[in-house]
Amino acid sequence: MAAEFLFSQFLSGLTTAIFLFLVASGLSLVFGVLRVLNFAHGTFYMLGAYLAWQTMAWLAPTKEGFWLAALAAATGIAILGFVVERLMFRHLYGKEELYQLLFTYALVLILGDAAKILWGTGQLSVSRPPSVEGSLSVFGALLPGYNLFVMVLGFAIAIGFWVILQRTSAGRMIRAAAMDREMLGSLGANVGVLYTGVFVVSSFLAGLSGALVSPIKAIVPGMDVEIIVEAFIVVVIGGLGSFWGTFLGALIYGQVLSFGILIFPRFSIFSVFALMAVILIVRPWGLLGRPLK
Amino acid sequence: MSRRIPWTLVVLLLALTIPWFGSRYYTFLATQIAILSLFAVSYNLLLGTTGLVSFGHAAYFGLGAYATGLLMKELNVPFLLALLAGGLLPAAFAGVFGYFCVRLTKIYFSMLTLAFAQIVWAICFQWNEVTGGDQGISAIPYPELGWIGAIPGLGGFRTGDHFYFACVVLVILCIWVLGRITDSPFGRLLTTIRENPERASFIGVDVRRYELAAFAIAGGFAGVSGALFGIFNRGVFADFMFWPKSAEVLIMTILGGMNYFWGPVAGTIMMVVLNQQITSYTEYWPLVLGTILLVLLFAFPGGLMGALDAGAKRLRGQKTGGGDA
Amino acid sequence: MRRRTLLASAAASAAILPGRARAANEIKIGMPMALSGPGALYGQPITKGAEMCVAEINAAGGLLGRKLILLPRDSKGNADESVRVSRELILKDNVDFIVGSFTSAESPAVSTIAKENKVLMVAPTAKTIQLTSPANLHPYIFRTASTTDIEGRTAATLMAKWDVKRVATIAPDYAYGRDIMEAFSVLLKKLKPGVEIVDQQWPKLGQADFAPFITAQMSKQPDAVFGAVFAGDFASLVKQAKPLGYFDKIGNRYIGAGETGSIEMTRSLGTDYPVGIVANTYDPVIWPDAPEVHKKFTAAIKTHLKDDYGSSWAIMGYAGVQALAAGIKKAATIDADKVSKAMIGLTFETPIGPQIIRGKDQSANRGQFWGKLVRTAAHPFPVFEKVEYTDPTPFMD
Repeated sequence: MAAEFLFSQFLSGLTTAIFLFLVASGLSLVFGVLRVLNFAHGTFYMLGAYLAWQTMAWLAPTKEGFWLAALAAATGIAILGFVVERLMFRHLYGKEELYQLLFTYALVLILGDAAKILWGTGQLSVSRPPSVEGSLSVFGALLPGYNLFVMVLGFAIAIGFWVILQRTSAGRMIRAAAMDREMLGSLGANVGVLYTGVFVVSSFLAGLSGALVSPIKAIVPGMDVEIIVEAFIVVVIGGLGSFWGTFLGALIYGQVLSFGILIFPRFSIFSVFALMAVILIVRPWGLLGRPLK
Repeated sequence: MSRRIPWTLVVLLLALTIPWFGSRYYTFLATQIAILSLFAVSYNLLLGTTGLVSFGHAAYFGLGAYATGLLMKELNVPFLLALLAGGLLPAAFAGVFGYFCVRLTKIYFSMLTLAFAQIVWAICFQWNEVTGGDQGISAIPYPELGWIGAIPGLGGFRTGDHFYFACVVLVILCIWVLGRITDSPFGRLLTTIRENPERASFIGVDVRRYELAAFAIAGGFAGVSGALFGIFNRGVFADFMFWPKSAEVLIMTILGGMNYFWGPVAGTIMMVVLNQQITSYTEYWPLVLGTILLVLLFAFPGGLMGALDAGAKRLRGQKTGGGDA
Repeated sequence: MRRRTLLASAAASAAILPGRARAANEIKIGMPMALSGPGALYGQPITKGAEMCVAEINAAGGLLGRKLILLPRDSKGNADESVRVSRELILKDNVDFIVGSFTSAESPAVSTIAKENKVLMVAPTAKTIQLTSPANLHPYIFRTASTTDIEGRTAATLMAKWDVKRVATIAPDYAYGRDIMEAFSVLLKKLKPGVEIVDQQWPKLGQADFAPFITAQMSKQPDAVFGAVFAGDFASLVKQAKPLGYFDKIGNRYIGAGETGSIEMTRSLGTDYPVGIVANTYDPVIWPDAPEVHKKFTAAIKTHLKDDYGSSWAIMGYAGVQALAAGIKKAATIDADKVSKAMIGLTFETPIGPQIIRGKDQSANRGQFWGKLVRTAAHPFPVFEKVEYTDPTPFMD
């Protein structure tokens, strides 16, 4: 019984972690290359959820249409990211980091209200697709099929990224950018294209994670700021710009929440911040990060 | 050029005229602006002067509000004494948190300030017995300021006006002190740290210690402004410390112009006035604020003061052919 | 340069006009309400309900021969902002009354402002018992909402009817959640001495990840659960708990407070809603044996909201204005002190029938509709098996 319980608690933490990792991975990617924490990432995530709901509403009543809706939402947000980067964000690259940060915050304000105008303030919900409706029993703990799917996808994305970063020329450029920006220019890389590409991929991930989360969480106004704080923290404790750091950060966060509430029942309000403070005090650059220049 | 004009005094005198308009609303608005101005100016000691981007300045604002509010309401401590505590307690907290924060740089610094602020927020949100939890502390008494009415020429004003007079004097005093700190050799070293921390440490400055001192001082003055705000607001709430409040002070400072000492004051005036006006007509204030931010970033990166400065220079350039006015 | 800036700023602040002088032929009602953020889910329909009531009164010739004017302001659902807009409404717009503030954190704060400015306030949705406890009561605060005592104790009597021994609870970690659990546990232990509270989970407000709370609770093997997780949080809880077998394991013996049986919730969750649980709402909306007045209200609010079903929350804004209007009518003046006296013991009409504001705590006897949610052929979402209003009178002291 005890072992089974601990295992199911672990699985709960892992579920929390993987969903968070999906959001945080795009944030980490953009920070690694562009050196800016994108506040609007959470808003892209929220818009992804709304777009998924909208697509489902159009596709109704086929619940299996969810897969298509998720892809459509992610693509829609990727396009939004492209527009934002090309029309506005790129003009701020030469300016202070603070201004870039503020730009992304302005996006949060504007796009948040835009979502309110388009979809109202009501609560929306998307059903799980029937193909992953069931649950399976793992060592006595129940694992919902949908969660399993997202876990597999999360790991696949992590490994996929690792392969891209290690094996492709784009990956080399991204790694180079994360380490030393000047070096990137001297390599003769087309920095503009790289930046746009990274921003678009990150937006795609934000949209995708928003869509994927819609079957297990309510779509409500304010879900953008709720997630962005958590995602920031995961990225920071993992070490900014470190892809595996983000992965590790999410895993730790999930387990700290999952087991923390067993020991301190009123812990959930503190969890993320306490974790971040402890880690930054002990390791000022995050778990797998490098000191910033 | 501005050395000759005692700006602090000019602002003080101008601000003191507000209650003569006779509108409770003007006094209400002006009190809010005065108190939040101090919050923003204290923040700019970190942002504009030292180059530290804190995401958690609201924590010290809130701590000051709780300290003074509790002392005045529960223990009947006299106003000035409670206000002093409202400055010292947050300064002490800023000293402790700052010790850890200044060891970090850039975004890590920002995130750790955020973490501490949110932990303080969570404690105040949950500690019902002392802080009133999410319902906060209501009905904080107004300080005994009836004697102001006895001053010749100041008779016939309301309690709110008396409190406004006290606020303006205290706020201007604090801003003056912050101005002196910024202009002192200590303040100039902070600027050196902002511009080139390597050089600063090369010439023998203990960068961390200076940053910590700035952090504690800024925290203390934020606390004073929070203390005044709690009384003005007739209540202290955990929301005072929540991160959007920290974002707000950052925006006010940049909006006004972080490279100008009076920039944060200009930003506060603009933000408070716009907010009051726009929220009367629409619930889409975030949309408006976001658009203002975009315009600022792309067209007026120096903020309101920067834009006025540039405008004034151009005007002078046209009229006097570039001569110094 | 600097001087110019300052003068310009001074001029700018002087340019703001203070509120127009109070017109003798209108009555202004300020309404601080959560219109953005998570609370807007309810704040918007509440405001619409109040709007509709004001429009109806005006269409019938107004009140005391004057026109009612409603001024809604976004309180963002937080106390700090709520206080700010309330004071602005009083000082700048010269409102005569306030109907509003949404949460239990906002309302006591706004109540302080109402007291200080002698502006009468009706709280249409705040449930915290603190709002009208003897220490905080004053002539200018009235409540037309239910309370944590009523809600928690009603749930306890429902729970006591079940054959259960091990009860668990889950509630958001703030005043509402804690107060309602306190009221629930005390009465439940009295009604059913053998019962044991085996687990209490306290997710934060706005929690989106419920899996750890769910598995932790399930490990304690409760027979039944009382939950006060509400709004979007409840939807997230349900979506994550269902595939983990949470509701199956307790045989759907879940009692959900926090209006989790509202039509907004059942519609949005649709087939994901855990049918078989017992939940509550302020207005069942779909109510076959509804009194005539409710049918009329529902038809009107559907048109007003341009929605096929209407809202379970609009009634709270609507009834809040009704109570105030009845008080003004009885007092035959807008003088706050006289209206306050008139409102004590006042009986006022609402879409679910007349309600009484008692003198002891200046609160209306507002109960809620509780019942089992079931699936029917008539609607694509669950509805109450039997619509039943619980009289709150026994739970108010």
